[in-house]
Amino acid sequence: MALKHWVRYASTAFVFVGLMGLLTLSYRTVRENEGSFSALLENYVLAGVSFYLLFFLVLLVLRYAVFIIYSFLDHLENLHKQRNYKGPRYREENSLPMVSVVVPVFNEGMVIQPALRALLELDYPNYEIIVVDDGSTDDTYDKSMAVARTSKLIPIRVVTKRNGGKAEALNTGMTLARGEFILNMDGDTKLTRNTLRVCIPHFENPSIGAVAGNVKVLNRENIWTNIQSLEYVEGLAMARKAQSFIRSVNIIPGPIGIFRKSVLKQVGGYDHDTFAEDCDLTLKLLMQGWHIAYEPRAVAWVETPSHLLDLIKQRYRWTRGILQATAKHRAVLWTPRKSGINCYILWYMLFEGILWPFSTLLGNVFFIYVSLTMGMATLLFFWWLQLAVLDVVAAAYCVIIEEEDPALIFYAIMFRLFYINITDVSKVFASIEEWRGKSMTWGKLDREGKL
Amino acid sequence: MDLISILATVILVTTIGTMVIGVGAFAAFKLRDKRKPSKAKSGVLQNQAGVPDPIFLKPYLPPELEKAALELE
Repeated sequence: MALKHWVRYASTAFVFVGLMGLLTLSYRTVRENEGSFSALLENYVLAGVSFYLLFFLVLLVLRYAVFIIYSFLDHLENLHKQRNYKGPRYREENSLPMVSVVVPVFNEGMVIQPALRALLELDYPNYEIIVVDDGSTDDTYDKSMAVARTSKLIPIRVVTKRNGGKAEALNTGMTLARGEFILNMDGDTKLTRNTLRVCIPHFENPSIGAVAGNVKVLNRENIWTNIQSLEYVEGLAMARKAQSFIRSVNIIPGPIGIFRKSVLKQVGGYDHDTFAEDCDLTLKLLMQGWHIAYEPRAVAWVETPSHLLDLIKQRYRWTRGILQATAKHRAVLWTPRKSGINCYILWYMLFEGILWPFSTLLGNVFFIYVSLTMGMATLLFFWWLQLAVLDVVAAAYCVIIEEEDPALIFYAIMFRLFYINITDVSKVFASIEEWRGKSMTWGKLDREGKL
Repeated sequence: MDLISILATVILVTTIGTMVIGVGAFAAFKLRDKRKPSKAKSGVLQNQAGVPDPIFLKPYLPPELEKAALELE
């Protein structure tokens, strides 16, 4: 482990020394021309950053364009499917395959009862509910048992175990599941009634191993949660839909994901070595060649952080977790011919996880420097404006496609004005800490009981 | 001062402000994350091998059974 760290530091030092060497060589030319070294350095750095930001901007515009086109194609494909849908393969209600709904919970006493009651309302004839209490220290178990006792038609099993993390709880649920399909969700999630009805038909395609659902924000109560609801809508209606068009959704969200039980077993269930077990599992499925679809009509309503520090805690864990999951499959990064689309998926994840936050922060620092030293604040404004225009266009498209509240488009400006700057800082710090291999804890969010 | 300059100044101030808030909020998150209740120093007795000794709790008996058990003793 220590050797690994030394290699990392040594490679960084090597790059740094190399750059210094190049600058020193340039210094001779400066001396000959009687120029200032600091002026040369400034020119070099500013020119380098300008070219880099231009390159990043091109990548960003391409990313938005490709995602909007692909997600629109997926939207058209879904409309066509719905229009020509002849009904399920299993026409009889009684012959619909059994689904086990696994709910891993840890100290969810405040929200578990409404979440379970919502599950009892699901419009599907053949399902069971398994609540896995991961060693809660509050009344989660008792409250789950209280709902289980009142349920006459839908079997609810509540099991309790010593605390071992979400991955272990989900694996326990998988072992106990009797259904052919498993729906994994979070304890603080509320599913819409049609969830199973709209997801199960996807599995008529034998190459589909899992279906990712749509996640929406329930507690739209302040500016933080409203911006997050736009973020979720954009992330799902644009990115996830576009990925679904090529059947390569890269993250099956924790709040709603349906799997073939056989596929879960084939990949060995969830691993314990990352803080984004959902992302890790999705990558394992993709690496095994399984296709993953996205179903926008299956909606999971979730509670999002309504305070700044909780939001930062969440983004910190997500960033490090995604980097950990990507690092596990890093061999694929260098084998595009063998790995095909999976290679590009991993590169894209690195782009979103590292390059994007680093580049937007770098852009801000660069333009602030230019504004303060050269008095060209308009450059910062135009940089901000072009990013804001991209955000507004994407928000408008997603709001239309998802038939969401048009007021969300307004939050695209707020998103660019302050939200993304604040979250990007925590993402950059999280990436640096992950690179340094700093230890971390799960960082469970406090629930407010909005379900 | 034209409109673009005013807007540019607003964006400049906001960008600097939010980046400072971002750094401050991250520092606050790390500080809050580090603060945990200290572990009890001498709660669990350990044997020589460092394995915690088992704690035997008094089993619960309904009052009538406890009375009968006492009578038997």
